[in-house]
Amino acid sequence: MMFSTTLKSALFGLGALAITASGALADDLADIKAAGKIVAATEMHYAPFDMLENGNYVGFDRDLFDEIAKEMGVAPVYEDLPWTSILPGLEVKKFDFVLAPVTMTAERADRYSFTLPIADATVTFVQRKGGKMTKPEDAKGLTVGVQKGTAQQKQLDAYSAKIGGFTIKEYGTNDEAYADLMTGRLDAVAGSAPLLNYLAKKRPDDFAVVNPPFGTPTYFGYVARKGEGDTLVAAVNDALKKIEADGRMKTLQEKWFGAATALPQMMPKL
Amino acid sequence: MFSFQTIIDNLPVLIGSARYTLLISVLGCLEGLILGAVICAAALSHKIWLRRAAALYVSFFRGVPLLIQLLVAYYLLPVIGLNVPALVAAVLTVGFCAAAYLSEVLRGSLNAIPKGQAEAAAAIGMVPLDVWVRILLPQALKIGLPAIVNELILLVKASSLVTVVGIVEITRMSQSIAAATFRPLEIYLAAAFIYLAINLVIAQVGRVLERRLAV
Amino acid sequence: MLETLHRYGPDLLTGFGLTIFSWLLGTAFGFVLGFLIEIARRFGPRALGYPIRAYVEFIRGTPFLVQLFVLYYGGPLIGLRLDALPAGILGLTIYGSAYFTEILRAGFDAVPLGQIEAARAIGFRNSTIVSRIMVPVMMVSALPALVNFAIILTKETVILSMITVPEIMFQTQTMMSETFAFVTPILILALFFWGFVEAISRIGRRLERRFTHYLIDRS
Repeated sequence: MMFSTTLKSALFGLGALAITASGALADDLADIKAAGKIVAATEMHYAPFDMLENGNYVGFDRDLFDEIAKEMGVAPVYEDLPWTSILPGLEVKKFDFVLAPVTMTAERADRYSFTLPIADATVTFVQRKGGKMTKPEDAKGLTVGVQKGTAQQKQLDAYSAKIGGFTIKEYGTNDEAYADLMTGRLDAVAGSAPLLNYLAKKRPDDFAVVNPPFGTPTYFGYVARKGEGDTLVAAVNDALKKIEADGRMKTLQEKWFGAATALPQMMPKL
Repeated sequence: MFSFQTIIDNLPVLIGSARYTLLISVLGCLEGLILGAVICAAALSHKIWLRRAAALYVSFFRGVPLLIQLLVAYYLLPVIGLNVPALVAAVLTVGFCAAAYLSEVLRGSLNAIPKGQAEAAAAIGMVPLDVWVRILLPQALKIGLPAIVNELILLVKASSLVTVVGIVEITRMSQSIAAATFRPLEIYLAAAFIYLAINLVIAQVGRVLERRLAV
Repeated sequence: MLETLHRYGPDLLTGFGLTIFSWLLGTAFGFVLGFLIEIARRFGPRALGYPIRAYVEFIRGTPFLVQLFVLYYGGPLIGLRLDALPAGILGLTIYGSAYFTEILRAGFDAVPLGQIEAARAIGFRNSTIVSRIMVPVMMVSALPALVNFAIILTKETVILSMITVPEIMFQTQTMMSETFAFVTPILILALFFWGFVEAISRIGRRLERRFTHYLIDRS
C-alpha cells in the first residue's frame, strides 16, 4: 500500500489521489440502479462456471447471475477478461462486479467485499479412470499436479505434510495438469470439487474423481469493491438467499455440478 | 487424431471475432497515421523542444512492449480520471504505438521529396500548414505506402495482445474455444490461418494500390 | 515499499534473468536456424524453395502469441510436450528464424556480383567463395537489420508470460496479484523496459558501427 501510494503521488500529484479518495464516497449500487445495468467480468474458460459455447457465454455463473440481476431489477452485461486482469480491473472501475468464482481467503476478504458463498471450493483429487486410488489417503507416495499459486495448492501442501508425503508438480493451468495426468506423468490432479466433478462428467472415459474431498471446507464467492461495493454485495446476497430459498439454486447446481449441495447462508469464517 | 470437424464447427465464430481484430488494427493504423504525421512534423521542426518531444515519444513507444503499454493504459488511465471503454483504450493504445513507427516511415518518405517543392509552394504564398497537408503529406503517403501496408500487417498481428484488456478478438475467442473443446492444436492453427489469410489479403491490396499509384 | 522489494526482489531479479536468457537463446538459435534456412534456400535443391517460402510466410503472417499457443498447448497433441521455458525459447527461435532468413536473403542479394566473379577468376573454390566472400560481405550489409530485429525480439519476450514462463512480466503480475497493487508495478515495468531497450539499442548501434566503420571511412 505504502509502496503504491508514495509513487502514485510522486507521479501524478495530489490530483490523482483526490480522484481515488473521492471514489470512496460513491455507492456502486446507486450507480448501477441509475444506469439500469450491471457490468460483471469473468474469465470465460472456467468450466462449468464460465465457458463459451459456439461463441455464447454459458455456465453456472451466467445462469445464476441472470437470476440475481433479475432479482435486482437491472440488466446484466458480461465481460470476458484474463484472470490476471480481473482484480485490477475491478479496482480501477472497469466494471462493477467480479463474476469469476474467487476462492475466499482472509487476505482477499481484507481487500475486497465478498458475496455469500456461491459454490463449494473444497479440494479433491481426480485420477485416470481405473486409477489406483480409492480414497484421498492413497495419494501417499504418488505424484500429484496442481495449479500454481492457487488457494488449492496451499491446502495440497498441508495435506501432503499430514499424510506423510507425495510429490507435487506445479502447473500454470489446470488443463496442462489434466494433459499430464492423461499421459501418465501424474497419478492425480488436485483441484476444487466442482471443477473436477465437471471434468469427470464431461470425459467419463478418461477421468474419475476420488471421493471424498480431502481439504478443509472452502468456498467460492463473487467479489465487489470494498466500501463503495458493500451495498451492492448486500443486494446480491439478498438475491442469493431468495434464489436458495425457492429452490432455483438447487436446480442450477444439479444442472451444472450434477448434484445439489447446501451452501452456508452466512459468511464462513476465513 | 487431428479433428477437422472441430475446426469446421467453430470456424464461423472464429471468423466472426475477426471483426474486432480488423476494427482495432485498421482504426489503430489510421490513428497512427494522423498522429504520426504530427509527430513527424514535430521531429522536423525548427524548435528544439519539439524535436526532443518527438524523439522521446518515438523512443518510449518503440521501447516499451505493446503488452505492457496496453496494461498501463488499462490500469492507469482510470487513475488519472480517464475511464474509457476497453475497445477505445485498445484502439488508442495500438494507435499511439503505431504512430511512433509511422512517424519514422513518413519522415523517411519526406526525405525522398525534393526540397524545391516545399520552397516553391512557400514562394507562391502557401502557408506552412497548407504546404504540409497539400504538398508534402500526400506524396509522403504515396512513397511510404509499402511501409504503411507493412505496418498495418504488423498491427493485425499485434492486435492479438488486446486480449489482456478484455476484447474478444480472434486470439481470445480461440482461447475460449480451445478450453471448451479440449482441442487447442486445431483451434489455434485455425486462428493462425485466419490471421494469415487477412494479412495475405492486405498485402495483395497493398500491391494493387501501389501499382495504381505508380506513375 | 522496502518490505515489498525484500519479498519480491529476488523473484523479480530471477524473472529479469529469464527474460535476458530466453532473449539471448531465442536470438542466437533463431539466427542460426534462419541462416541454415537461407543457405538451404540459396544453395540447396530448388524443391526446397516452396516449403521454405510457406514457412516464412506462415510465421511472418501470424501473431507470435498464437504461434506460442499452437506450440505450447497444441504441441502435446502431437507428442511435443515441452515445459513453458523451452517452449518459449523454441517459439522465439522459430519466430526469429523466419525474419532472420529474410534479412539474410536481402543481405546475400546485396553482395556485388563482381566480387564473386573476381574470386572465381583467381581460382577460389565455390565453398571458399561462399564462406570467405559472400557470407562476410553479406553479414556486414545485413548487420543493421539484424541488430534491429534482435532489439525487436527483446520486446517479444514479455509475450512468453502468457504461456506462464516466469520471466519479468510474469513475476510482476504474480506480485501484483498477491500485493493487490496494480498501477505502480506496471508503470515501473514500462519505464524499466524503456530503459532496457534503449540501452540494448545503443549497444547494438555501437557494435554495428564497430563492424562497419571501415565502409564509411572508404566511401
